Amino acid sequence: MIEIFQQALNGLAIGAVYVLIALGLTVVFGILGIAHFAHGSVAMFGGYLTFFVMEKFGVPFFLAMGLAMLGGAALGFVIERLAYRPVQDAPHINAFIIALGLTMMIEGINLLVFGADQVVIQTPYRGVFYVAGIAVAELRLIVILTACVLVGVITMLIAKTKTGKSIRAVAQNRQAAVLMGVNVSMVSLVVFAISSALGVAAGALIGALLAIAPGVGEGLAVKGFAVLILGGLGSIPGAIVGGLILGVSEAMAAGFISSSYKDVIAFLVMIVVLLFRPEGLLGKR
Amino acid sequence: MSHPAKKLFIGFAIVASACFMPNLVTVPYFMHLIILALIWVILSQGQNLIQGFVGYVSITQAGFMGIGAYFSTLLTLKLGFSVWLTLAMTPLITGLFSVIVGYPSLRVKGHYFAIVTLAYNMVIFTILLTYSSLTGGEAGISNIARPSGFSLFGYVVDFEGRSNANYYLLVLFLAAMTTGLCGLILHSRVGRVLLAIRQNEVLADAMGIKSWRYKLFTFVISASLAGLAGALYAHYIGFLNPEPFGVDQSLNAILAVILGGSGTLTGPVVGAFAVTFLPEYLRIADSYRLVTYGFILVIATIFLPRGLVPVTRDLFLYIKSLVLNQK
Repeated sequence: MIEIFQQALNGLAIGAVYVLIALGLTVVFGILGIAHFAHGSVAMFGGYLTFFVMEKFGVPFFLAMGLAMLGGAALGFVIERLAYRPVQDAPHINAFIIALGLTMMIEGINLLVFGADQVVIQTPYRGVFYVAGIAVAELRLIVILTACVLVGVITMLIAKTKTGKSIRAVAQNRQAAVLMGVNVSMVSLVVFAISSALGVAAGALIGALLAIAPGVGEGLAVKGFAVLILGGLGSIPGAIVGGLILGVSEAMAAGFISSSYKDVIAFLVMIVVLLFRPEGLLGKR
Repeated sequence: MSHPAKKLFIGFAIVASACFMPNLVTVPYFMHLIILALIWVILSQGQNLIQGFVGYVSITQAGFMGIGAYFSTLLTLKLGFSVWLTLAMTPLITGLFSVIVGYPSLRVKGHYFAIVTLAYNMVIFTILLTYSSLTGGEAGISNIARPSGFSLFGYVVDFEGRSNANYYLLVLFLAAMTTGLCGLILHSRVGRVLLAIRQNEVLADAMGIKSWRYKLFTFVISASLAGLAGALYAHYIGFLNPEPFGVDQSLNAILAVILGGSGTLTGPVVGAFAVTFLPEYLRIADSYRLVTYGFILVIATIFLPRGLVPVTRDLFLYIKSLVLNQK
């Protein structure tokens, strides 16, 4: 019984990272209709950048993560302007293929700049304490809390600010938003910046929790999309619920079935959801 | 000569002259690459069926290639089947697998379909890697047999050795047959239906077309071709591990179709040669290879969204019209 709770807690921590990844993907998809597959590689870039900033300047983890998020936002600007903007009127599949090309490019840049070694970000949060027999690692709690704070900030940003209002307007009806004087081009830039910053945060947390290595990014993007399909494309609550479900079910699968098949099980969950509820758990029909 | 007959004639002429390639190309390494490229032609023709004709971008072609490769290899190694028999069987087996995969995933469209098929590819890859008692895992299987030789009108036809000319002819024949099959499908009633689905699936459904049947049919044919390509690859290279069957290779198949020209017959042929030879030439820029490759993909999609073949054809027609007008 305790084992189940233990695995659930582990799953929540990794699920929180999935939530951040999926949140970035879902805002881009909801507003621009782009399946931004390179998001996972952007996250890895962020993880490496965080590690690099910490090593080079000796700053604490959260400051490094914040700086890396700014770097990520800048990368998001560039990606939107140079890669996705030229194909915004072409069929959506072209944007998807661009995303695949970007994935290769960013993976390649990561290899060139940061090398091929696996990297683990060292954080000072190494404590473990016990609650009712369950081992609670301090780091996992920190990861979950960070994710909560970021999700809260983004939700407030979208719900309360003027920028958030224009983002929602574009998501609901692009043409009408243009007619109401919303600067759609600006909105998509902002959305990409937010999304990439979230991805970078997720990458940094993954680096602290597990490890960053070449090739992890693609898997992360696929997991992100699995979450989106679970929760419903374009839905923010869906991304949160879906991310936690995926994280916990993966941890359960790893703990009770086999850790090498945990990815397979995650995808099976996704396929089953598609079969019975193609619009996702919280998506609209 | 009528238009289709002319095209058919040109096709035959190209294949016939390609038969003499082993006499012209003396560098074994180039012959090796050409054989690989021809195997890729089979793979990308399959990809083009589902991506170019129906407009559903499937990212699991390499996964099916892996299924075909491992089935053919295991049947010959563990059960002692003849390679010729397994080469004939793999398209059927892979096709059967693809029904299981295709039926649920073809219920969804667009990005969903792409992502689900990508997930399938990852599942196949993980199983190939993890189920090592059967597949050999990362270490792989070596010493996979070539097809057995036979004698024809007194000539001994054998398939042993690297960049073997007879294996080249076999692969050339199958690649030409595949292209012919795709041509037949494209110009048949089924092909018209597929194009109708690509243009407007809702309308096609409303016209009384059971579009899911056609989509499933195409998906299965596409996977069977991938399986055949996989088997040809395995028996040519002689060594098998899961590495060539990951998502990267599926993306390469998509790139081949896009670069060559999706929805055309010659496009995938050109694209297959491009994706086989391009990385070899980029090897000079070794560590920049991934970046360059991705860059080419991005640039090609932005500036050449229709692919090399249609653009070249338009350019040719334009020059022709200029020349004719001056007379």
